[in-house]
Amino acid sequence: MTYFPEEVVEHIVDFLGSHRDRNAVSTVCKAWYQVERLSRRNVFVGNCYAIRPERVMARFPWMKSLSVKGKPHFADFNLVPYDWGGFAQPWIEAAARGCPCLEELRLKRMVVTDDDLELLARSFPNFKSLVLVSCEGFSTDGLAAIATYCRGLRELDLQENEVEDHGCQWLSCFPDSCTSLVSLNFACLKGEINANALERLVARCPDLRSLKLNRAISVESLNRILARAPHLVDLGTGSMTVNHHTEAYHRLINTFLRCKSLRSLSGFWDASSCCLQAVYPVCVNLAALNLSYAPAIQGDDLIKLICLCFRLQKLWVLDCIGDKGLAAVASSCKDLQELRVFPSDIYGAGTTAVTEEGLVAISSGCPKLNSLLYFCYQMTNTALVTVAKNCPHFTRFRLCILDPGKPDPVTNQPLDEGFGAIVRSCKNLRRLSLSGLLTDKVFLYIGMHAEHLEMLSIAFAGDSDKGMVYVLNGCKNLRKLEIRDCPFGDDALLKDVTKYETMRSLWMSSCDVTLRGCRALAAKMPSLNVEIINESDEADEFQENLSDLHKVEKLYVYRTVAGGRTDAPDFVWIL
Amino acid sequence: MGDQSNSPSSSIDSSSHPALCSTSSIFQTRRDLLSTDLKLGLGLSTSALHGCSSKEREQLSHWPPIKPLLRSTLEEKVHRSHSKTFFVKVYMEGLPIGRKLDLLSHNGYDSLMRTLRRMFRTTITCPDTSRVPPEKAHVLTYEDEEGDWMMVGDVPWEFFLRTVKRLKITRADKC
Repeated sequence: MTYFPEEVVEHIVDFLGSHRDRNAVSTVCKAWYQVERLSRRNVFVGNCYAIRPERVMARFPWMKSLSVKGKPHFADFNLVPYDWGGFAQPWIEAAARGCPCLEELRLKRMVVTDDDLELLARSFPNFKSLVLVSCEGFSTDGLAAIATYCRGLRELDLQENEVEDHGCQWLSCFPDSCTSLVSLNFACLKGEINANALERLVARCPDLRSLKLNRAISVESLNRILARAPHLVDLGTGSMTVNHHTEAYHRLINTFLRCKSLRSLSGFWDASSCCLQAVYPVCVNLAALNLSYAPAIQGDDLIKLICLCFRLQKLWVLDCIGDKGLAAVASSCKDLQELRVFPSDIYGAGTTAVTEEGLVAISSGCPKLNSLLYFCYQMTNTALVTVAKNCPHFTRFRLCILDPGKPDPVTNQPLDEGFGAIVRSCKNLRRLSLSGLLTDKVFLYIGMHAEHLEMLSIAFAGDSDKGMVYVLNGCKNLRKLEIRDCPFGDDALLKDVTKYETMRSLWMSSCDVTLRGCRALAAKMPSLNVEIINESDEADEFQENLSDLHKVEKLYVYRTVAGGRTDAPDFVWIL
Repeated sequence: MGDQSNSPSSSIDSSSHPALCSTSSIFQTRRDLLSTDLKLGLGLSTSALHGCSSKEREQLSHWPPIKPLLRSTLEEKVHRSHSKTFFVKVYMEGLPIGRKLDLLSHNGYDSLMRTLRRMFRTTITCPDTSRVPPEKAHVLTYEDEEGDWMMVGDVPWEFFLRTVKRLKITRADKC
């Protein structure tokens, strides 16, 4: 056997970026495991309960960047109770003890407290980047600690977090010596901001390229900020309430004229059509545009704006754009790769919303489309077949028909064939969300054709256990399966229990699995944590009296080497 | 499967045990529950939610699958459009008896001005006309949420609707 000196192996391994490749290398032999673990700089933990933090720190002592995810995805839609878990504390404490060279931390759907943030700020002298996505449990006091103690901070990116407002002083905590900021995103903060402090901060950070403001920043402030940072590449505006008679509006036009590097725009809180003209000068260079928080921008003004952005690759918009608007986008934005159309009327059957026509138009005009999230009131099989033919490159396809279980309105048939066409045509499909009326057949198609599928979301679909079994048997690369309100029960759950060891997690809520089935799963597979979430008030009384045939409200199963977790609240039973 | 005319109760047999019920009937009930909620349409406001059971209310907040930030932004818009009327008091200087006007029946300042001119039979000038108003003309002012009296027309219409408490037509030479 040829002997490779460790330095050579290390050099080769350095070229490996992906976690998957590095994980594979580490299983070859003990020597390679050692080389790999000491040279790994980026560590990704997809489920914070799959492994104890101390083990991660011990294995990768020279880790520079750590990314951890907590709650299951359906937590985004309020399906996971508030105090279910996903605490950042043990991770930050372990990192503080074991990996002092940590530079970057990214947390998603985790509970982060102010104390955690303060510990973070004080423990890592080289800390450069903090990204918190859909987290909660902290306030602006925690941000103050980050600002105060992280010398050399380059990135503070807060995406869609629930942050308690304890005042605007946090921004003033960035010392005068802080000149290193490259990216600052506080769009999710609900409170007031010290605009002066922000302007001074922006003025002294010449490398600032990404800035996302919150709703409290007025147009006047935006003008002053942009004047100091004309090299911004990515901008999230503050509140865009401006009357086009005012001087602020005229200054806005001039400011945007000077922002020649802008490639991405978002925000537009409270924006109405009259402020849009100010943005026209930058449209021609825009690669990404997010108008999903601007329900007042509608009709022709909206269409005109988007059609000026002919280099657009990513568009997030509300469904008030309509089918006509999407057709216009399809003829102007030929480079479009990612489209998200969100619902603007969540309580009623809107008449101005988009239908299958808009999607078909986009698919025929934008052949590079590979990522879709589309909320609509109806979809037809014919449309989906056409879309599948036009856009075989989908990697992410998420369709949400707002009326659960709605059939094809033209034929009254389920949408099995339509989704079947999608999975047959899109050989690289990694993520799929289904909706509308669907029988077991769609799952047969998915199992047969969706070879690379990693994440599948199902709601109000299927006829029987066979549906779920098709998926579990067929999708070899499945990592996350999340199901709600489907008639899948114990037989499906227990058909192939070893499958769950190959996946990150399984979520089932409002299905037909019973306590007996869950207990059986837990008994057969000690390498899985089987969690039952029962929030109903009767749960306490029934705990002893609960028959095995009692249907489980919410089930969350995940593979783990950490054993049962000790931080679960009362309503979570770990079997 | 998927036959919408099946009523759930007809397929539940005499045993009330959940596991023994036909799964498709329970499935149907789940879908019906959400479909009905969605069809409640514009009539649904947060006060109407109190009439639902807590389970139903929970279901409502889980569909459609959108993130909390987007949901709260849209609900804000819905709150404003649910009240199909928004009556404010309008006084004209010199007249002790005021009128009431539904701001939501107008789609902008022009429409509002036209109605007021008709109601009070006077010329109401806009802030952006450069003509010097004659003595007999009036201007339109409003009281905002902070209690200050402001000239109507400076801010976008939607923003105005959010902050206006009442209107007053005052003589132009007072401004």
